[in-house]
Amino acid sequence: MIVFEHVGKRYGGRFEALANLDFRVHRGEMLFLTGHSGAGKSSLLRLIMRLERPTRGRILVAGHDIDRLHPSQVPFYRRQIGVVFQDHQLLHDRSIFHNVALPLTIQGVEPRESARRVRAALDKVGLLHREKALPIELSGGEQQRVGIARAVVNKPALLLADEPTGNLDPQLSADIMALFEDFNRIGTTVMIASHDLALIARLQHRTLRLREGRLVGDREAA
Amino acid sequence: MSRRPAPSPRGARTHRTRSSSRLRGWLRHHRAMCLDSAWRLLRTPVSSLVTMLAIAIAMVLPAGLWLTLDSARLLDAELTESATLTAYLAPGVGDGEAARIDEALGAQPGVARTRLITAAEGMAEFQQALGLEDALGRLDDNPLPASVVVTPEAPAPEAARALAESLAAVPGVEEVRLDLAWIERLRSLAELGQRVTLALAVLFGGGVLLVVGNTIRLAVESRRKEIEVVTLIGATHGFVRRPFLYSGAWYGLGGGLLAWGLLTLGGEWLATPVSALAASYGASFSLPRLGVGGSAFLVGCSMLLGWLGAWMAVSRHLAEVKPR
Repeated sequence: MIVFEHVGKRYGGRFEALANLDFRVHRGEMLFLTGHSGAGKSSLLRLIMRLERPTRGRILVAGHDIDRLHPSQVPFYRRQIGVVFQDHQLLHDRSIFHNVALPLTIQGVEPRESARRVRAALDKVGLLHREKALPIELSGGEQQRVGIARAVVNKPALLLADEPTGNLDPQLSADIMALFEDFNRIGTTVMIASHDLALIARLQHRTLRLREGRLVGDREAA
Repeated sequence: MSRRPAPSPRGARTHRTRSSSRLRGWLRHHRAMCLDSAWRLLRTPVSSLVTMLAIAIAMVLPAGLWLTLDSARLLDAELTESATLTAYLAPGVGDGEAARIDEALGAQPGVARTRLITAAEGMAEFQQALGLEDALGRLDDNPLPASVVVTPEAPAPEAARALAESLAAVPGVEEVRLDLAWIERLRSLAELGQRVTLALAVLFGGGVLLVVGNTIRLAVESRRKEIEVVTLIGATHGFVRRPFLYSGAWYGLGGGLLAWGLLTLGGEWLATPVSALAASYGASFSLPRLGVGGSAFLVGCSMLLGWLGAWMAVSRHLAEVKPR
């Protein structure tokens, strides 16, 4: 699903955020990306989302060299990836329903079909009863679940999450991770950046460890 | 050789359904953004109105000047129509001879019609015009020559001047006079006015672009977060731009309609003094109105400028708004 070949990323010609990354992620895999803050987890996810381009090496996603995408193709590439952000990135002037519907609106999905899929996604994260609420009326954990619903409403083959449990207590974090495991079980490739080592250890998935932009550990799932 | 199964028509149909549903989705978003942007404008009525008024004022000046020039052009055409040449015949040419020369002049190429003024008729007109019947009546001889008033086919000054030369060559014609200086002066003024109007239209059009561009820039700024989010989840530039382009077009439409209202009001306000002024010159002249076509052109230009201003502002800021 994802192949990194000698990928490096420098900012401003000097600071080396990522160096010589070499790994592959198989279709249907679930894995964690760990490391201290500043180790390059977010940079790595941004490269996969093609928010940035590598200064060295090649990244293949679903067989395509994403560096070769024409700028006009990038939006269509991004639609195949569901992304969950640490700060949710919800729109505060819109209801939960409209937030989750956003990817479908962008793709011009028929309103009736869109409503059906939004409700299915909200049901999956247990927030169907809050569809009319505004994000501000929800707790942090609920907002994160809205973010997840939005990321999966389009049934993407790849789901990326950047510190999805960053500000949540252990119980809520475990619930969120259980959701990701559910999506992984139906075939979605899931990649989660997190520094919650205790949680990661409990979950027993493949873990890539970054330190100062280098891959220093690739522990297979137990 | 193995027989291939007949290709199923399903694939093509699915494809067609998908692209037509994409088109429907696209149209749906257009409709939604068209209404949404209008709604956003209505929610801040005062600031929207101020922007529209700024556009209207910028549109009124060149449009008003253009209208005035248009009336000057009408006047010019009317005056040129009445431009004539006068061929004075040699003194001592008798009435019979004069009639023959009149015919000869009428047969010249480029002459529409002629009118012979015999020496006696000329005298009569002259006496009437000056009110000197008594004084002139005492003259023994009529000192005035017979003359022929020639209306040219082509009233343009260049053509008239060429005609004058050829008429002067006709035997029996002493001199041909054409007084075109004032028509030329009027033309130069009109030309000057046209250029000033064009320059003003370009300047004020640029002003409209800046006004709309700045308003849209603020709108982009206030929706920066939204732009970032939709870009992150795969919105095309067209999708991001759409609501702002509609806003720009709405501002332009509002501004254009206000400009039209201001021009109409201004026309009403000026109508009375203008017709009074024209009447004092013995002419019937009224300010021309923006017709249906002119009004549509004004409003269309305004909308186009609004759209273009928005496009420029959004494009410039799309490059700046990069998701973090």
